[in-house]
Amino acid sequence: MKPTWDIFCCVVDNYGDIGVTWRLARQLVAEHGLAVRLWVDEPKAFVRLYPEADVEALCQVCEGVEVRRWEAQWHVEEVADVVIGAFACQLPPAYIEAMTQRASPVLWLNLDYLSAEDWVEGCHGLPSPQPNGLRKVFFFPGFTERTGGLLREGDLLERREAFDREVFLRDMGITLQPDARLISLFAYENGGLANWFDALAEDARPNHVLVPEGRILGDVKTWLAVDNLAVGDTHRRGALTVQILPFVRQDDYDRLLWSCDFNAVRGEDSFVRAQWAGQPLLWHIYVQEEYAHWEKLEAFLDRYTQGLESSAAAALVELWRAWNMDRDMGLAWKQMLPHWDELALHARHWCAEQAARPDLAKALVQFYRNWI
Amino acid sequence: MKTGKELKPGTVLRIDNDPWLVQKAEFTKSGRNSAIMKTKLKNLLTGYKTETVYGADDKLDDVILDRKEATLSFISGDTYTFMDTTDYTMYELNAEDIDAVLPYIEEGMEDICEAVFFEGRLVSVELPTTISRQVVYTENAARGDTSGKVMKPAKLKNGTEIQVADFIQIDEWIDIDTRDNSFKGRSKK
Repeated sequence: MKPTWDIFCCVVDNYGDIGVTWRLARQLVAEHGLAVRLWVDEPKAFVRLYPEADVEALCQVCEGVEVRRWEAQWHVEEVADVVIGAFACQLPPAYIEAMTQRASPVLWLNLDYLSAEDWVEGCHGLPSPQPNGLRKVFFFPGFTERTGGLLREGDLLERREAFDREVFLRDMGITLQPDARLISLFAYENGGLANWFDALAEDARPNHVLVPEGRILGDVKTWLAVDNLAVGDTHRRGALTVQILPFVRQDDYDRLLWSCDFNAVRGEDSFVRAQWAGQPLLWHIYVQEEYAHWEKLEAFLDRYTQGLESSAAAALVELWRAWNMDRDMGLAWKQMLPHWDELALHARHWCAEQAARPDLAKALVQFYRNWI
Repeated sequence: MKTGKELKPGTVLRIDNDPWLVQKAEFTKSGRNSAIMKTKLKNLLTGYKTETVYGADDKLDDVILDRKEATLSFISGDTYTFMDTTDYTMYELNAEDIDAVLPYIEEGMEDICEAVFFEGRLVSVELPTTISRQVVYTENAARGDTSGKVMKPAKLKNGTEIQVADFIQIDEWIDIDTRDNSFKGRSKK
């Protein structure tokens, strides 16, 4: 009999929680043949990523994953062999109680946030004995061998290489000027946008920015000085063309990232996908109290810039800091451009280096095998 | 009950009915304002040690402990002897049992500590929130800075290094906040 896995996803905000858990659930089914239930407390967020899903359904099967609505009133269910609480979410007390009563032990994993900080290696895989006798284990994704790795489907890079950019762009209704630099923009609200767009508009080379629906649209609207922005709208200011795209499903978002010369991403899921695109990227990190996110940003930059020439590394670091610390994005962008070729090559190397490590789903499955 | 974020050295947790002493606790912000506490635990019955991680909001059973005032009597190798200030009983602890406060333990210190007992046995020692220590080495001050905002490293008698205000000089006594190991100012002593 297949081992059963339950993944609990509490949607706090945005699409990172559901994005990561849905991706993981799909991969565990498709590549490891597991029986996976994905418990989601906010089905609307899931439907945005998987439009075929029924937002009202209590239970539905999507790409082999049993997607269940996680209701406030918990109905007792059979406990799975492996239970994952994503991003420190609290499992239903009745479910935890059922775990304590189960005849055979349950592997209870807390799948935590992605961070490049050094402490992650020291915490990955450590137990967390609970007062009720259960043993939770903290599992951390990460960028080194002593972490759980990153989510990556087995055939992802092959699909990327075989992908037809022209067909995809045509299907998305994107027409490029010759020699245009294609940029995707997915970010939280960001005051640095105006500065950056000014620089793009003043550029000698055409820039075409694709903006999927999201929180940055308000800033885009302000910069364009328009009252409304809708999917399909295209505006041109100087050398910059801005095109609004629909919020796309995960597979299409991957293709969008693969199509672009530069990807501005945010949070956790799109951040990782942009790395697999193998193109230069810009990360808008999730803001935390007491600026804790700045340390996380610097920790990633420390790792990512290894192997870059010092001037290219400094330019990239300054660009990321500008985007996340309200500095002059226009200036940082212009100072980054002379290093473009090196940064593009480096992005490919970084992608290959990360892809040489076991992916997160495989690491979880292996951890379970070792545990039993 | 204690939450994960409340754990600190000297806390004793009850896990599977065994008492586990928290020897070290490191608080870290993980992501999106969530946090974890990495701990080093020692089983007080078997001596077995392990490392664990708790979520900041995890609820844990702690053991109510007896506390008494004690002072450091003497150090012999890795053994630290404390004396109960009321009945003069001597208690010994190993360096690893007081890992968290070790940077501030030194011969001749006069701090009134809090000795923590589990079933009559001394398991750890906690320092007062503010302690006073003498600087044995630090670089000369940068000219003119009296604001206290510019910091520099300074060495204490037992070798511990701490960041102090730039105006502090060798042989001066400083106040240290033991909760976060921060420099508070010149001692009044």
